[in-house]
Amino acid sequence: MVTSSPGRSVDRVDGAAKVTGAAKYAADNRLPGIVHGHLVTSTIARGTIRSMDVRAARAAAGVIAVYTPADPLRLLPPQNPIIQIAGEARRPLQDREVRYHGQIIGLVVAETFEQARDAAALVRVTYRPHGDPLRASFAEAARDAVIPDPPWSQPVYFRADGVTPIDQALANSQVTVSATYDQPPKQHNAMEPHSAVAMWEGGRLTVYSGTQGPALHALEIAEALGVDKRNVHVISPYVGGGFGGKVVTWAPTLLAAAAARALGRPVKVVTTREQLFTVTGHRTEFTQQVTLGASRDGRLNAVKHEGVSNMLIENPTRVVGELYDSPNLHLVTRIATMDVPKTTIMRAPGYEAGSFALECAMDEMAGELGMDPVELRTKNDLTTSYPLPEASERLPFSSRHLKECYQVGARRFGWSRRRAEPRAVTDGDRLVGMGMASGVLPASQFVAAARVRFRANGTVNVASANADLGTGALTALAILGADSLGIPVDRVKPALGTSLLPVNWEGDAMMGAAGSAGTTTLASAVHTAARDAIKALIAHAVAHEASPFHGMDTEDVHYERGVLTAGAKSTPFGRLLTTTRTGGIEATTVAELKEEADRYAFASYAAYFCEVRVDRWTGEARLSRMTTVVDAGAIVNAKTARSQIVGGIIMSLGQALLEDARLEADTGRIANANLADYLLPVNADVPPLDVHFLDHPDTNYNHAGVRGLGELSSVGAAAAIANAVYNATGVRVRQLPITPDKLI
Amino acid sequence: MRPITFTALSTVREALERPAGGSAYLAGGTTLIDLMKLEVMTPSHVLDIRRLPLRGIRRQSDTLVIGAMEHMSDVADHELVTGAYPVLAEALVQSASPQIRNMATIGGNLLQRTRCGYFRDTTTPCNKRAPGSGCPAIDGENRMHAIFGTSDACVATHPSDLAVALVALEASVLLRSRSGERSVRLDDFYRLPGSTPHQENQLLPGELVMGVSVPALSWARRSTYVKVRDRRSYEFALTSAAVAVDVKHGLIADARVAVGGVGTKPWRLSGVERALKGRPMRQDTFESAVARAADGARPLSHNGFKPALLRRTIVRALVKLAG
Repeated sequence: MVTSSPGRSVDRVDGAAKVTGAAKYAADNRLPGIVHGHLVTSTIARGTIRSMDVRAARAAAGVIAVYTPADPLRLLPPQNPIIQIAGEARRPLQDREVRYHGQIIGLVVAETFEQARDAAALVRVTYRPHGDPLRASFAEAARDAVIPDPPWSQPVYFRADGVTPIDQALANSQVTVSATYDQPPKQHNAMEPHSAVAMWEGGRLTVYSGTQGPALHALEIAEALGVDKRNVHVISPYVGGGFGGKVVTWAPTLLAAAAARALGRPVKVVTTREQLFTVTGHRTEFTQQVTLGASRDGRLNAVKHEGVSNMLIENPTRVVGELYDSPNLHLVTRIATMDVPKTTIMRAPGYEAGSFALECAMDEMAGELGMDPVELRTKNDLTTSYPLPEASERLPFSSRHLKECYQVGARRFGWSRRRAEPRAVTDGDRLVGMGMASGVLPASQFVAAARVRFRANGTVNVASANADLGTGALTALAILGADSLGIPVDRVKPALGTSLLPVNWEGDAMMGAAGSAGTTTLASAVHTAARDAIKALIAHAVAHEASPFHGMDTEDVHYERGVLTAGAKSTPFGRLLTTTRTGGIEATTVAELKEEADRYAFASYAAYFCEVRVDRWTGEARLSRMTTVVDAGAIVNAKTARSQIVGGIIMSLGQALLEDARLEADTGRIANANLADYLLPVNADVPPLDVHFLDHPDTNYNHAGVRGLGELSSVGAAAAIANAVYNATGVRVRQLPITPDKLI
Repeated sequence: MRPITFTALSTVREALERPAGGSAYLAGGTTLIDLMKLEVMTPSHVLDIRRLPLRGIRRQSDTLVIGAMEHMSDVADHELVTGAYPVLAEALVQSASPQIRNMATIGGNLLQRTRCGYFRDTTTPCNKRAPGSGCPAIDGENRMHAIFGTSDACVATHPSDLAVALVALEASVLLRSRSGERSVRLDDFYRLPGSTPHQENQLLPGELVMGVSVPALSWARRSTYVKVRDRRSYEFALTSAAVAVDVKHGLIADARVAVGGVGTKPWRLSGVERALKGRPMRQDTFESAVARAADGARPLSHNGFKPALLRRTIVRALVKLAG
């Protein structure tokens, strides 16, 4: 069933629970006998713990236990490669080594939170620093960065004739631009801090902990504690923001589970806002060099994009491969090694940083050519996918409407009023500039399991072990269920957020809401489960003696819009189940993806148009309006989809103008590890944002026609802002964030 | 646990009779509670003065008197402030967040502690918090730090916007102790760090801030506060300027200029005031008058932009007043 109603806007099914505070997040769980753990973290970046004096802490009021490397809770190392890359390969407390500033080196458990926090402050630590130099300067670490071993972030050397080196291809181009783009490390710090409540009953563990994938969370906890994954029950109905920061399991949850086992009491651990900067992962710093070669009429001839990151799967160089047609590509990412807190996945890894560099470079090329930036992009729009290492053959795009994004966006925004020359428009003492950029996000969907259950009361339960990170996934699940079954949304009772719901333990679906694949994954899983549940319902209808369809051939009974019919007979499923005195009929199925999904290339697209105002005296740049046009297939719920796009744009506003984790090169300490000094956009920074969805369901991808969009607006929006700042001021800032000091 | 006593006081006399050792007055709490949580301030006795009768925003003859316990939000909105002293109202509404302005008091605002990250992190040295321990900011993260009034011991910026506006207006702080009452010009009230950065002002042990008096300045109606910051709200100043001008027949008869975000205390720029006097109220005047505004500044490794930004900030304020 095709869902194509971009105007459809459904209120969140859990909206009332959230605004009234009835929604229970992990740390809201109070269990009888619960005790509280507080983390102790290192105050040096590299060395060995010589001693930890915990006597005062142990003697403090209410203290139950103090765990340190000398007296640890045992945690086993992770097995899954994604967890080794995006999480901590070395679990805390398992040795005396300090590998970064702010590393967990202890856990104090006490009767109350305040007692635990107080006792944690009494722990005295001495260190033996290592003699070798600290690697906390990204600029220095970047010099020693290396191309990683397969399979991650592999280089692409794509040459028109198979032989011409990229520098020769660039030299042969009529026009070239070349520049270096840098961006600082950035922090997750989602609204809900990483926190967990863990409780053992016999050999079974229940963990309340915010996660993007309840199944992967259960698996990782089970592995770390050396128990069977089926004995770990993760409960995570509400998550206060994921963004990639809750894909892998961070130590606070593992320590809560291990301490609960050791103490035989429920344990709660809540990470403080300041600790989140170091004990959970962040986004790597980047440096990138982009060189574009084009003909005088604006056709790209060669693209050389080289980048360095400090995270194996943060590969910034692949964006061009989704956007522009160039006969020569040279895309190389090198990975630096540093003594800093762990880097992890963060919204649109690779694409967030890469799009900033590429889309600024395209703006610079447009300026060099004297061509409108929209025209330059339109002229180079890709028509078939590149034969990159991951996809050995060129595939046609299933549904690509990037050009329409440009056209519709330009019209809605009033792009024709833009003056190409910088500093041409003023409003009083403010310089006014316009900028644009493209956004792209390769589509992904996982093979998940789902359950659909018809109930005698006329409702349907739809469930999968996925997560709603605050995105509206639960509401989307209800809509997908309703559309698959042809019934109203309010008759569907959706469930997500525990590992007891249907799981496909094979493959990536365990990650849950990751890679902007939450809705696409649920779409296929629900579609398949609904089909099977309808089959089961019909089988029940012909088999049960009390059923009006008893004894008929299943092929003669049809399901439509919640009603079974055969000839003149017609019965809603609720009445059927009431008549047969059956509580429910269900099917739990692993999704079957469409065959077409292998025959095309799939991605979601966006075009951004924005205006900034820059104070000509003080250099303060403020976003004043922005139009975003999105091509992401069918839109399941316009209300929450818009929120996703708006959230990504606000995050991009932070990327462009504000966010900057200040790492001290000589100490490895993050100097602004709090939300007063680490600047995120506040409401006053955010103007009204115009978001428009195109309506092109992509039914080659799944029956619902949806592609992902969660990470999309983190790709390219920052470049649009930077390009607008250039248009306003004539100053090209290539080192983010664009702060006043860079514009005066 | 760090035990504290908490005493709610109801009269000024009670407040002054309390022993001073290890005690701290609690007004709005937006500094004290914050720094107690960080263990930067560790008083043994917290004296709650929220019920003290230190309220009122009134005119006494020509002087505006503001009680120490008035909330920032109430002062910002008050008719005696918005009309006669726009620079005060603007400095207040550009401070902190609405929630904080609803809690924080005028007295507390003037005594708020620096936002220097090393001062606030007890795992690092800081001469202001732990005298003699050192100053990591001088060679560390110092983008937000001061360029005026610094010493080898401390480069921490004074954080208050209100204080900058009050220094421009030549306001005084009213102090009371058991031995009586005194009034100290706010400009003199704050001390430079020198070798004793932990001594931030002239307040004596057992002395209480009663209020602030702002002398009449008829031409302060033409005043403004420009605050330059990375984000639009809820952020401390990179640079700021409190400026008032007395313009007669197109010429600047008199001017007040004080700046923030750049000094270890609010920084009055008398030289800029002199350079403006007698000159036409025009952009070329402004630009030449600020040419030496940052003379004597000592920029640090991350805030080399501050002298230029400061000059532009003052011009911005003057352009606004001219417009």
